[in-house]
Amino acid sequence: MRFLVFVLALLLAACGKEPLVHSQSYVFGTLVDISIYGESEARAHQVSNEIFQDFQKLHHQYHAWQKGSELYELNEAFSQGKSIQVKPELREMLEEATSLSKQSNGLFNPAIGGLIHAWGFQRDEFTPIDIQPEVIKNLVNANPVMLDIVMDGDKVRSKNPAVQLDLGGYAKGYALDKAAEKLHQLGIKNALVNIGGNIIAIGQHGDHPWRVGIQHPRQPQPMATLELLDGWAIGTSGDYQRYFIDSDGKRYCHIIDPRTGYPVQHTQAVTVLIPPQKHAGVISDVASKPIFISEPKNRDAAAKAMGVENYLVVDNAGISVSPAMKKRIHWLNQSKSEPETK
Amino acid sequence: MKTLKIHTTEDDHRIAKLAALAIGLHLIEAVVPSPLPGVKPGIANIVTLYVLYRFDFATAAWVSLLRVFASSLLFGNFLSPTFALSLSGAVLSLLALCLAQYLPKRYFGPVSLSIFAALAHMVGQLLLVRFWLIPHAGVAYLIPVFMVAALLFGLLNGLITSALLKKA
Amino acid sequence: MKSAYFKRLLPGDYLVVLLGLLLVVYLFKTLWHGEHAAKLEIRQGDQVFATLSLDQDRVIQVVGPLGTSKIEIKQGKVRFLSSPCSNQYCVHQGWLHHVGQAAICLPNRVSLELLGAKKAYDSLNY
Repeated sequence: MRFLVFVLALLLAACGKEPLVHSQSYVFGTLVDISIYGESEARAHQVSNEIFQDFQKLHHQYHAWQKGSELYELNEAFSQGKSIQVKPELREMLEEATSLSKQSNGLFNPAIGGLIHAWGFQRDEFTPIDIQPEVIKNLVNANPVMLDIVMDGDKVRSKNPAVQLDLGGYAKGYALDKAAEKLHQLGIKNALVNIGGNIIAIGQHGDHPWRVGIQHPRQPQPMATLELLDGWAIGTSGDYQRYFIDSDGKRYCHIIDPRTGYPVQHTQAVTVLIPPQKHAGVISDVASKPIFISEPKNRDAAAKAMGVENYLVVDNAGISVSPAMKKRIHWLNQSKSEPETK
Repeated sequence: MKTLKIHTTEDDHRIAKLAALAIGLHLIEAVVPSPLPGVKPGIANIVTLYVLYRFDFATAAWVSLLRVFASSLLFGNFLSPTFALSLSGAVLSLLALCLAQYLPKRYFGPVSLSIFAALAHMVGQLLLVRFWLIPHAGVAYLIPVFMVAALLFGLLNGLITSALLKKA
Repeated sequence: MKSAYFKRLLPGDYLVVLLGLLLVVYLFKTLWHGEHAAKLEIRQGDQVFATLSLDQDRVIQVVGPLGTSKIEIKQGKVRFLSSPCSNQYCVHQGWLHHVGQAAICLPNRVSLELLGAKKAYDSLNY
């Protein structure tokens, strides 16, 4: 009799299997995956689907170039000098984006939607465009900045019609924070949410922390891994995610230097690691941009301005890692080798 | 009808005897299984090496190549992949020996030459496998293992050859 | 008995043995750097489209919102042979053959990932 119970217990334990449920979906114009540990498969799928749907909503609400999105309406109003009513959520986002833009000394500038459009990156697929230096110059001279936005009660307008908001470098981080909030609300203790490379961790993977792989900018594989502890977030900006290569073989990526109006050419990828804090997700999205855009000698200062201690940069000269980041990163063999260009 | 007389010299006899010995060793080796069929440690190389020391490179080359061709004819796998492997191994190890024989004999004995020959032999066989017989990316994982075996057998063969030379 | 053997080794021989060992170590280090992937997982949209072995050469067609992406398995490696997207990032990724390597066609929602026994990480920050 006892033997039977023992066998049964063994079988039941075997049926339990690894309580990790991994769901993927294409939302937000990218691949999103959610790993939930320690919940039943049904619950995990239910929660994941709810979050995917939240993302879809956010994606449509704050889409920079889709007619009907709240952001699109706002941009229309801006270009016509009109004042428009905005929902509290968008208002909060504008306030936060403005504060972050100031913090980054203008390197993070969501108001340059016009430039992004001119370079053809406000599309789903990217083909080389006919670069018109005059157009670029004019857009840069128009100098659209977040400070041009005036908020009057629940109405918003822009002093500068050239302000066109593109929350591309902010929205994913925002969605990440919202997802983390919801997961906590729903009582999920251990999860990992990855929105196209922006990842936030809740709890851990069973008995060990969540592990995240960092993609090599030029090879189809990770070059390093690191542990993402409870509440930490990680984000990467890369020239390999959205780009086109023109007839001369030159690469133009989607990260544009607001000062010159041209895509950054001297950096391949920047990864930042953000400790637990309110809006860790947003910071993980935003903070990599100023570092990406800065000249190599100014990177440290740019990181400091954003309060980032842990970051990694890959450029044509190789891979550089901040001292704090060095302790956390585990290199995968063969990657700390030659820098690659193209 | 005139009978055709082929005049054989003492050298020819010697080469024939040695080749026969090499074939015999090759036969023994053929019985040993290997994960990559046909890739063998090459104990017949002991004969090649011995001949190189006792006579000259030309004789050694004859013995070695005769062994490859005659063995394959005897075993019925002439022009088969096995033959190709045998040949590629033999050719590369002969090349290595041709170069290595000029190493100062005071410092480099049969063991050195044997190791060079064995490693070259294995490289020859692995090249053939990787690019013709089993062009699978997974072969890369077997290469280090086979090279270790080649190193080991090279050492052993060298020691054995050394012992034989001392005796003679 | 052993010493008799070692007498046969000249100084140069020791050097050659050492070099041989170094060579072998080098080979292990360079060629054994990744677990050779045995399985490929192809995902289309939210679903796993197929889990395949890499040992059989073939071309697989996966239909996504933009059209058909062709995936080629050859000699233990896999790659995007062609895809209907305009940027062709996926095709440019080239051949994958280690565990953990992945390629993705975002517009057509097709992803390739090489699976092995253990995974080095839970999610990829790309």
